[in-house]
Amino acid sequence: MRSVLVLLLSIGPVLAAADDEHVNLSLLSAHTALVPGKTSWLALRLQHEPHWHTYWINPGDSGLPTKLAWQLPPGYSAGDIAWPAPQRIDVGELQNFGYEGDVLLPIPLDVPTDARPETTAHIVAQVKYLVCREECIPGKADLTIDLPVASAAGAASKQVEAARAQLPQPAKWKGEASAHGEKVEVALHGADLPTISDAYVMDRKIVNYAPPQISRNGDAVTLGFAKSDYFTIAPPQIDLVVRAGARAWSVRVPFSSSP
Amino acid sequence: MKRIFFAFLLTILVAAPALAKVSVGQPAPDFTLSDSNGKSRSLAEFKGKIVVLEWNNPDCPFVGKHYGSGNMQKQQADATAAGVVWLTINSSATGKQGDIDGAGANAYIAKVGAKQSAYLLDPTGQVGHLYGARTTPHMFVIDKAGVLRYMGGIDSIKSTDKDDIAKATQYIPQVLAELGAGKPVSVATAEPYGCGVKYGS
Repeated sequence: MRSVLVLLLSIGPVLAAADDEHVNLSLLSAHTALVPGKTSWLALRLQHEPHWHTYWINPGDSGLPTKLAWQLPPGYSAGDIAWPAPQRIDVGELQNFGYEGDVLLPIPLDVPTDARPETTAHIVAQVKYLVCREECIPGKADLTIDLPVASAAGAASKQVEAARAQLPQPAKWKGEASAHGEKVEVALHGADLPTISDAYVMDRKIVNYAPPQISRNGDAVTLGFAKSDYFTIAPPQIDLVVRAGARAWSVRVPFSSSP
Repeated sequence: MKRIFFAFLLTILVAAPALAKVSVGQPAPDFTLSDSNGKSRSLAEFKGKIVVLEWNNPDCPFVGKHYGSGNMQKQQADATAAGVVWLTINSSATGKQGDIDGAGANAYIAKVGAKQSAYLLDPTGQVGHLYGARTTPHMFVIDKAGVLRYMGGIDSIKSTDKDDIAKATQYIPQVLAELGAGKPVSVATAEPYGCGVKYGS
């Protein structure tokens, strides 16, 4: 019996130690203090070893997005990760979306109105991540930050501010997505459309992950994606991140039903 | 002339490495590969039986999740006991992660107690490309008439955590039960999740 147990353990996934396996993780705060009744921002910092990466909310052909679970004082609530625009990371012929280098994933934290000044909020984030070069290693880490509650937020972290400023900005362009044969086309209209260099669909099972064909006609841009091999039904809408050089926008477009 | 034509064919094969496409409801393309005992096996020899294809890389943590928990071995044992043919395919290129020879495959099978019908070696990635296998695991189910009935992930929760297996819908037993009962397959595609298949570059 014991040998069976040993055998099972020996073939299980190897869990990376918290901080020393190809990515260093830490939890940052946008300000030195939390203010009752306000939304504050935290950020998960991922410092990757050269050539290693972790994943965006849609990891692409393989991989897994980084996930967070929180242990917070009563009344506090953490929102979803505000995902920075991803990089394309291609391994062989597989197309992935993720992050290399030093990256921050901002997270909003709602502080309850009855949080008492001059107390300390003990915040624990359990992070599950997959870090890959060509091979992949799953990891878990519990990250802790203790922040004082005060009537003013105090000094700002330039790093977190910069990360938030670089997040995809919500765009007001009109648009729609539609499926035609083996393609999914996203049409965007707006006088202020930038020169789009790339676009990423957040939803799964809609498109394959190669870069779209981008064509511009006046105030309209068409993004032509190859339809996913796993496309079954058109969703009501899809979310995209559109990139123009270093800037990025997020846009939600309705999916028109197939003709 | 024949030689020129062959060279031309080779050029096409080399120039078009993109993952091919198979579709649910269409005939599953035939292939021939060596198994871990050096025997040549083809899909055609199993016509008249339901066939499951499982893409494998012994060193991938997602594969480790499903073998480390016993989930994969149980699915293999249940399927083969019901007359289903289960073919595990390894498309890791020579020198890449998960690249094993026949003896290595047999040692792996013995170590994890795998119960597949055969373990097939695809170091050129030819069959992986033919089926558009992206990840390990990546699963396909072919019915008795040779038609593809399922392609995609092994289950509904994308993670490397064994704890998630019991909470997830395990698609292969579901597909096999539905095919066995003559019912339509309720979930015929699910986006695969896992490590990328370690094709050669």
